[in-house]
Amino acid sequence: MSSESWPPQLKEWVAKCLGSITDANRPEVQAELKQVISEAFASNTLWTTDWAGVQLKSLMPKPPPVFNSLKRKSMESTTPHQSKKAKKALQKSAAASAAAMDFDDQAALSRRAERFQREHELEKMKSLRVTGGTNNNKANSHQAHFLPRSISSRTGSSYTSNEEPEGDPNVIDWDRYTIVGTSQEIFKDYLRLTSEPKPETIRPYPVLQKTLEELKALWKQKKSYAWVCNQFKSLRQDLTVQRIKNEFTVQVYEIHARMALECNDMVEYNQCQATLRTLYDLGIPGKVEEFTAYRILMLLHGRNRTELNLFVGQLTPRQRADKAVQHALDVQRAQAMGNYQRLCDLYMKAPNMGAYIMDHFIDRERVKGLMVMSRAYKKLSFTFLQTTFAFETTEEIKQFLADHQVNSYINPNVPDNEKMLDTKPMLPELTKIYEEKYRKVMIKGAI
Amino acid sequence: MPMDFLTYISQLNDALTDEDGPKLAYLLRPTSPHGRDLVKEFRNPTKASLSRYENSMVSPWDDIAIEYVLVCSHVARKRYIEAFKEESQLVSLFLRFFTENRGWTLPALFSILRDLRDLAMDADFHAKYHGQKSDCMEDSARTIAKAFGHCMTDRTSPPDQSRKWGVYYIVGLVLKSYFRVKRISLSKNILRALEANTDIPPLSSFPRSHQVTFRYYIGMLSFLNEDFAKSEEELTLAFYNCHVEAHGNQERILAYLIPLRILKGHLPTQELMKRFPVLDELFAPFIQAIKVGDLKSYDRALEKWEARLLDLNLWLTIEKAREICLRSLFRRMWVASEKSTRIPISMFHAALAVSGIDVSEEETECLVANLIYRNFMKGYISHEMQMVVLAAVNPFPRVVDRPSPYALI
Repeated sequence: MSSESWPPQLKEWVAKCLGSITDANRPEVQAELKQVISEAFASNTLWTTDWAGVQLKSLMPKPPPVFNSLKRKSMESTTPHQSKKAKKALQKSAAASAAAMDFDDQAALSRRAERFQREHELEKMKSLRVTGGTNNNKANSHQAHFLPRSISSRTGSSYTSNEEPEGDPNVIDWDRYTIVGTSQEIFKDYLRLTSEPKPETIRPYPVLQKTLEELKALWKQKKSYAWVCNQFKSLRQDLTVQRIKNEFTVQVYEIHARMALECNDMVEYNQCQATLRTLYDLGIPGKVEEFTAYRILMLLHGRNRTELNLFVGQLTPRQRADKAVQHALDVQRAQAMGNYQRLCDLYMKAPNMGAYIMDHFIDRERVKGLMVMSRAYKKLSFTFLQTTFAFETTEEIKQFLADHQVNSYINPNVPDNEKMLDTKPMLPELTKIYEEKYRKVMIKGAI
Repeated sequence: MPMDFLTYISQLNDALTDEDGPKLAYLLRPTSPHGRDLVKEFRNPTKASLSRYENSMVSPWDDIAIEYVLVCSHVARKRYIEAFKEESQLVSLFLRFFTENRGWTLPALFSILRDLRDLAMDADFHAKYHGQKSDCMEDSARTIAKAFGHCMTDRTSPPDQSRKWGVYYIVGLVLKSYFRVKRISLSKNILRALEANTDIPPLSSFPRSHQVTFRYYIGMLSFLNEDFAKSEEELTLAFYNCHVEAHGNQERILAYLIPLRILKGHLPTQELMKRFPVLDELFAPFIQAIKVGDLKSYDRALEKWEARLLDLNLWLTIEKAREICLRSLFRRMWVASEKSTRIPISMFHAALAVSGIDVSEEETECLVANLIYRNFMKGYISHEMQMVVLAAVNPFPRVVDRPSPYALI
């Protein structure tokens, strides 16, 4: 259906309705709008109805603001070792319907009405910026954080600087061209932009804040990662095209990064990590230490020695003192020294989501440890290996050894817990496997 | 007698007709005495005010001469960023001339690229001092890389007059810029471009100074990638070919060569260290600790020099050398236990405890295993008996006698 097939009267009316929408009554109004229009469409009265005279029920009495379901527990309470299996169990389709029944033209119809609002908003933001006042209006506060130009220090507080950069008439004032979206949809499928973004498909800051809350809630309800990831990508895109760079942005990227870690999606994780780095560099506060620790672990995983050397050299004393960073540095040290004992111990004690990253290289380090042991011991028992390499069950260590073709025993005919591995043939085999399997690290999406 | 602009132009002209590269370099250097004269001649020159000199020489030399005056004037007034920008202009104008000429122009090219780099350094330093962001250094690296391309693509000059004789020097300049701005990962690109061209004369036929700089950076890059064998090879060559009076450069090379040699088990002599007091101060505590097996002072030194070692990217390497100190400690323990061939793990644990190192017995066992694996000790561990059985002959071989020491790191 192209928008030409709609009567102009209807378009105006829809725009008016959407203009008077509030956060609280949005789902209702949208549902009723859809219903009314589809009924009219079905009865072929689209062109004959006097739309200006139609009144939506949901817009008539102003409902009292609803606060209950909007505030939910933040993502941070998610325990890192939450069972991954439990996730797919529940899949509530509650909010999916809104996204599924996409009423594309709705947004297009609201264009005109929204434009006025947008210009109004822009003016408002401009005046706020000029006065430099500290505003409590969350919806506009991001404007104050737009690309701070005088970042002189990394103290973490400079980003709120109220100083207006000196106006140079020769420099393009990009702020004037910043888009502010007008879409009121909470959810939007991600689509890679191939042309200039259209404001009517972009969600403005207040809507995005709601989007994040909704996504967090849905994630807790075990919504599939594929869908949530897609939504996060569109959320990130809307932030990018509107050049919103503030604490909210950092939060979005942090949450997405954690989800990606949990679901082993290293491509998205690396993208988030890279963006977070630039956001932190701008001085925007966030969980800098947590993500610094992740970055060290990622560099260990990628065995990117050059970067690791440089990165460790640039850590601030405050970062170094942090527990998570300390852990990551301990991991680095244990790894460098071949201290597999300590390394596996640290694997078990990883703070935050560190274990998810360590998952990626722990087997490599175990193989290296086993290579060391194969030369230092004549025989090795299952139980000793199990505790040393932090395997939870005998089954796991058996699987690990089988995966790496370690299978010659001194006493093959006794029960598992008494079996002794013969170390003599191990080293050449392990060296070969190490070369084949672990010498080169493939990191998807690494920057 | 002060030189005026017209004299300057005629001297440029002479250098060009004589194909006198060094003279050209001298004339284009902002620090040369005539630079000051020209600043005095034009009180406040701008591109517009100097435009009447256009066409006073064959293009692009009229513009180059004008840019030169502007650079000198900015430098004299301490406007570093502007100076850098004009010098960039000068370089791009020069490159236009450069691509149509032969190797005799290289001394001038080297000189102006060096000036460009120095001005970029000043500009960034100045900007940083005033809390501004500035990436002149990266700009300059880009410009220098462009010049590299122009050297590489010389297909017409006869071999002995080729612009290709500039490649290694220029790569050295580019790498230096990348190291300076800590964008070392960018180095790969230019080195790949260098490798892709097989028709460059061998490195050994280039001037020695070019070789030394190039080898130093290759050694550094290998070092950072922990390709220690390659690093040692390149740095050793750089060190032995380094000019005897380039003390600073020797020190730079040794800062990495000494730790590499220590990893292999070669401790530097007193004589050498005396010549480099800065390095002596840094490395002496580690060397001393290794000699006597004093793990605690080794760790204290690691802590004390942490910032400096991190800054030099040496921390990880010095940390690795700690194992050699550990070996010394265990060897002393072994001598003290009358060179017994059977030593319980608890003895190793006690040795660490006495040195003030707090680790568990499990970890002690792991440390011993690592020493055996890396050939610092000969023998095997019996986990069930919690016993280390040492080889009857030479259980602690000399560190230098270990086969392929870098391979097992």
